[in-house]
Amino acid sequence: MHISFDKNEVLKGIDLSVKKGEVVSFIGPSGTGKTTLLKCINYLQKPNEGEIQLGDLNLDYKNIKKQDILRLRRKTAMVFQMFNIFKHKTVIQNVMDAQIAVQKKSKDEAYENSYRQLEKVGLIDKIDEYPSSLSGGQLQRVGIARGLALEPELILFDEPTSALDPELVEEVLRVIEEVAKSGMTTLLVTHEMDFARSISDKVVFMENGHIVEVGSPEQIFVGSENVRTRQFLKKFYSNQELQKMH
Amino acid sequence: MFDLKASYDMFLGILGLLPKTLLLAVTILILSTLLGIVIAIIQQYKIPVLIQLIGLFKLFLRGTPMVVFLYLMYYALPAMGQLIISLLGINYNMNNMSPVIILIVTVSLTLSAFQSEIIRGAFLAVDYGQIEAAHSLGYSFYQTFTRIIVPQAFVHAVPDFANSFTVAIKATSLGFLITVIDIFAKAKIMAAQNFRFVEAFLMVALIYWGAGILITKIADRYENDVRIK
Repeated sequence: MHISFDKNEVLKGIDLSVKKGEVVSFIGPSGTGKTTLLKCINYLQKPNEGEIQLGDLNLDYKNIKKQDILRLRRKTAMVFQMFNIFKHKTVIQNVMDAQIAVQKKSKDEAYENSYRQLEKVGLIDKIDEYPSSLSGGQLQRVGIARGLALEPELILFDEPTSALDPELVEEVLRVIEEVAKSGMTTLLVTHEMDFARSISDKVVFMENGHIVEVGSPEQIFVGSENVRTRQFLKKFYSNQELQKMH
Repeated sequence: MFDLKASYDMFLGILGLLPKTLLLAVTILILSTLLGIVIAIIQQYKIPVLIQLIGLFKLFLRGTPMVVFLYLMYYALPAMGQLIISLLGINYNMNNMSPVIILIVTVSLTLSAFQSEIIRGAFLAVDYGQIEAAHSLGYSFYQTFTRIIVPQAFVHAVPDFANSFTVAIKATSLGFLITVIDIFAKAKIMAAQNFRFVEAFLMVALIYWGAGILITKIADRYENDVRIK
């Protein structure tokens, strides 16, 4: 995959290539455009200009057609910070609905596939529950199952654990780790530094709409020569120390 | 002073017109909702000219008592209808237009302004994150609308729709002024026959209350069943 954006209000000249099966994490201060970047990829936000190449799909965002937007979205899946589970549907209906509506699968086929996905994320005992009776961690796992059920070529995680209570973060990270290790091309925006370091093939440090540094986890977290990257990580880890002391 | 037997007879007499009254109210609710959807769409997409017309219409409704509107329609609607169909070259005497139709049109128009606000509010209550999620999964605009937005908006709107329904039932009582016989008109006629005004109006009030309570209860139960759990 190759994406590039230009002359955008939030993102200023992003250029990035990701290989199939690669796991790429985006770190950086809040308000830097990490989420915007992710949402530009599947056109939830409209970049002023830019190009994307995803598998056999080659698109120019400037004159993109409705049909292209749908094709792009059908190749990608997104997991949201606020989960965004459909509140009027049960857990399994949440996972099934897009397969029926978008992929035109039969009900039985969608049910079977959804059941398998929910089994993977450990929610078999919850399939007929409504979202209001689930915890944040469970909702996020439904979100992941819903995305994976469409067999996307690329999955986008937008701060998937930022809205969770601390004790629920772990269960979601374990599921994301499994997805990443399964060979799915994964882009992850996160503030969980240790997690990003352990699962990523590549880490991108962003600031003020720019990519400051791209490198292997070791390069970014241990051996970064970049002043901004080091400042950011130092600040992050000293904050974490402070929190531990309290 | 208060005659129980007369009250009972009146109660039954008035009750006989409840089905007609409810049918009127249901028709009004459906028409005003359809019109409300059109108004809500025009306002949402800010369609020029039409949006100004709707602004004017709402201003008119706010300032005009429904009785005045009803009388105006009673005398103006047949003439307007006559003009339109004669322009279309249809030979039909519009002066035979039933007052029932005039009542339905008037109350539906009045209620449509309120319905449009209910509908707008219900749609805005669907959280945007879910719409984004549907888009990210590749739902088309139409699929997002019918599968995600409408089912949730409808549930939000149910209590307000029930309220509109009771408003419609009460508004049909104005039909008496233009010779439409509903439960209120029936009460008035029966009262005039034997001068038992207190009994007649108490009985009709009871029937209004009963209908109101029943509708609210049904709506509550429905809301509980389909509520976004």
